[in-house]
Amino acid sequence: MKSGQVLSLVLVLAGTLVVPLGLRAVNSALPGADVRESYLPSVETPRPREPFDQPAADVIREVQPEFVVIGDSMAGIRIDPLQLTRATRTRVIGLYQQGSPVAYWYLVLKNLIAENDLKSIRGAIFFFRDDQLTTQVQVTPGSLDRVAREREPELDRALAADKLGAFSEVHRAARSVYQFDRTRVWFEPLFNRWPAEVVQPERPSELISAMNNDVFGLDKLRKFEGSDLAASTTESLNFARHVNDSLLPEILRLAERSHIRLAFIRVQRRPTPEGPPPQSDALKKYVEDLKAYVSARGAYFHDDWGDPDEPLSAYADGDHLTAEGRRHYTGRFAEKHARFFQ
Amino acid sequence: MIFHSLEFFVLFAITLAVYWRLPHRAQNVLLLVASYVFYGWVHPWWPVLLFATTFVDYWSARNMSGTGNREPGTGSNRKAWLWVSIITNFGLLGFYKYFDFFIDNVATAGAAIGWNIPHVALRLALPAGISFYTFQSMSYTIDVYRGHAPARTRFIDIAAFVSFFPHLVAGPIMRATNLLPQVERARTFDPAAARDAGVLIVWGLFKKLVIADNVGVIANKVFALQQPDFYVLWAGVFAFAIQIYSDFSAYTDIARGVAKWYGFDLIKNFQRPYLATGPADFWHRWNISLSTWFRDYVYIPLGGSRSGPGRVAANLMITFLASGLWHGASWNYVLWGGYHGLLLVITRSIRLKGFRVAKILTMFMLTCVGWLIFRETDLSQLIADFKLSPMDSTPLGRSTGLYLFLLVVLYSLPLWIHDVWAEFHGPDLVKAIEIREPAPAWNRVFAQAALCGVMFAAILVMRSQTALNFIYFAF
Repeated sequence: MKSGQVLSLVLVLAGTLVVPLGLRAVNSALPGADVRESYLPSVETPRPREPFDQPAADVIREVQPEFVVIGDSMAGIRIDPLQLTRATRTRVIGLYQQGSPVAYWYLVLKNLIAENDLKSIRGAIFFFRDDQLTTQVQVTPGSLDRVAREREPELDRALAADKLGAFSEVHRAARSVYQFDRTRVWFEPLFNRWPAEVVQPERPSELISAMNNDVFGLDKLRKFEGSDLAASTTESLNFARHVNDSLLPEILRLAERSHIRLAFIRVQRRPTPEGPPPQSDALKKYVEDLKAYVSARGAYFHDDWGDPDEPLSAYADGDHLTAEGRRHYTGRFAEKHARFFQ
Repeated sequence: MIFHSLEFFVLFAITLAVYWRLPHRAQNVLLLVASYVFYGWVHPWWPVLLFATTFVDYWSARNMSGTGNREPGTGSNRKAWLWVSIITNFGLLGFYKYFDFFIDNVATAGAAIGWNIPHVALRLALPAGISFYTFQSMSYTIDVYRGHAPARTRFIDIAAFVSFFPHLVAGPIMRATNLLPQVERARTFDPAAARDAGVLIVWGLFKKLVIADNVGVIANKVFALQQPDFYVLWAGVFAFAIQIYSDFSAYTDIARGVAKWYGFDLIKNFQRPYLATGPADFWHRWNISLSTWFRDYVYIPLGGSRSGPGRVAANLMITFLASGLWHGASWNYVLWGGYHGLLLVITRSIRLKGFRVAKILTMFMLTCVGWLIFRETDLSQLIADFKLSPMDSTPLGRSTGLYLFLLVVLYSLPLWIHDVWAEFHGPDLVKAIEIREPAPAWNRVFAQAALCGVMFAAILVMRSQTALNFIYFAF
């Protein structure tokens, strides 16, 4: 082997690793690049953040609920808190966020309920689809700001383990050596803004805002005739493989520490005209494992799948119920799960 | 396992550290083990299918030439064994990829004439790369049947050939006549080739993580709209055109680079396809390994270009419809294949004249029309898309379309610069590993080191927050 050729190979490898160190120099030369670290330092770039929603926490403390329903639109479209309050003769509130991941639900339970000085709280009810409790969907930067405190180490650990796998420490080290997150903070907006300045030089920000709200607004997206969450993959349905890297153990621990009873309600996906939606064997096994896991830790579990009272006619779009379906569901929910509210 | 993961980097580093210390035969065993680990990393049952394909094709080829006989074409029942291979490969492919499509269509057709056919869709997860490795494996038995290649006696060599992990999941599809001899002969480590391969790997990662994933997010947003504006739609199509090229060619580049580190040469799969001057030129530049596979195993056996114009047109259409269906179990892929077949048929009879730039632009626009057909799986939405008129566009729609177009241009600028430069005989990162260098040209080495550093820095800073799978994993 010729030594000159080996040297040339080493030079290219070294160049690949050394040149990006220039990002550190660029960062330090630019004012404003030094942004505070996120509450999720393992998975998010340093960035300005929205403040924690203290007024909401204060209102919840004033209400002093006994039960809280947590989830995304699956919960919101099924449970009317006022109707449930009347039916169960307890104080029930609903804390819903459309399209929110389990990370959001965990922060709601932790920061708005468990650590919010609520003397009356007795239970929390989570509504979820299929493998949502152990699958970390993408956390969009900023989407958790309003429910997150300055530091969220448990959530950071869980997201890092899930998103980056066994190599989260390597990612952390690379971040620290190259400081590319800090470059991204100033570079990305600059990069995305340039085309707007070409198209609409006088008001580039307005164009971006109009695009996000008017062109790509939620109401402009296609309606789904089928279930509106992608089918789970066989891999994500391996409960044993994912549970320890998910937030579920932390949710259960938090509830136990705070003496909050937990209920997990798996909602039925959109049925077919012939009946309940099909389920793979892997999904059935996953639900059985999930039920055994949470039940062994004292939580209540119910699976809506196959409920004859939830035919296709009760559904609006996707996995959402109609307004009438919601009223009916809330009433039946109070009856079916009366023991949980006692 | 995917290339842009640390798991892959660890597998690559460990196998490489051991590989070059082993004798040739042991290297093949190591490659085989590494390939099965790579393929079964997420779905441990996938290698079972890979093994089944490999074993049946190995056994069929052996039987075609008679037990233990390496001479081609002397075995009895050769045709029967060829059919065993073809039925097994197409059976696996049909079961996992096309069964539900077939049942859905039978049920729909039945319903149209008043028959209630029970719907027994399986909804099976498609094993990644099954279309690639079944085609590659099948090409071995066909070549043995035709006498183009002798049947091999060493199962390990055949298994390493079929499963060779750098290109297993998304090609390029290698022929037995090309890759098998490389498996069978001793290989040597060439640091200069490894250096050029390293540059190609970084270039591939840059194309995937910076270009494809970022413009892919734009395309996904546009194709999620119910009623896109004319300009927004075509900006989205442009984004998809860039995404699919940079994504797929990135996979090939990384595959070729990685293979080179193990001493293998994989064929070039892309040759600046968006600089093609016509449909025939495009198919000499796009997914070359698949195009040539269909040419050699479908188009030519059908009669190729040797018959009259009508028959040639029919051969082209059949080949391209089959190629479309190869991409996925959906009518839009068939339509896409038909569209390209039609373009070829038309341009065979019409000789277009004009400046090269005009031809390139025209072909690029025609290609984008094809990408709309390819990307839009909802046929009614596709019809609606084609009915859109620029006259109905709103000012916001126009501004948004132009904004998205410029953003895509900005992301893809390095790709365009590279391709245009390489087309006019400038530095070509893709071709560099094919050129042997007796002594290092130090200016070039320093330029490569700087380029790789800049691309790596760009990956760190500009990598899309939304990680998208390689598109061709789904085919």
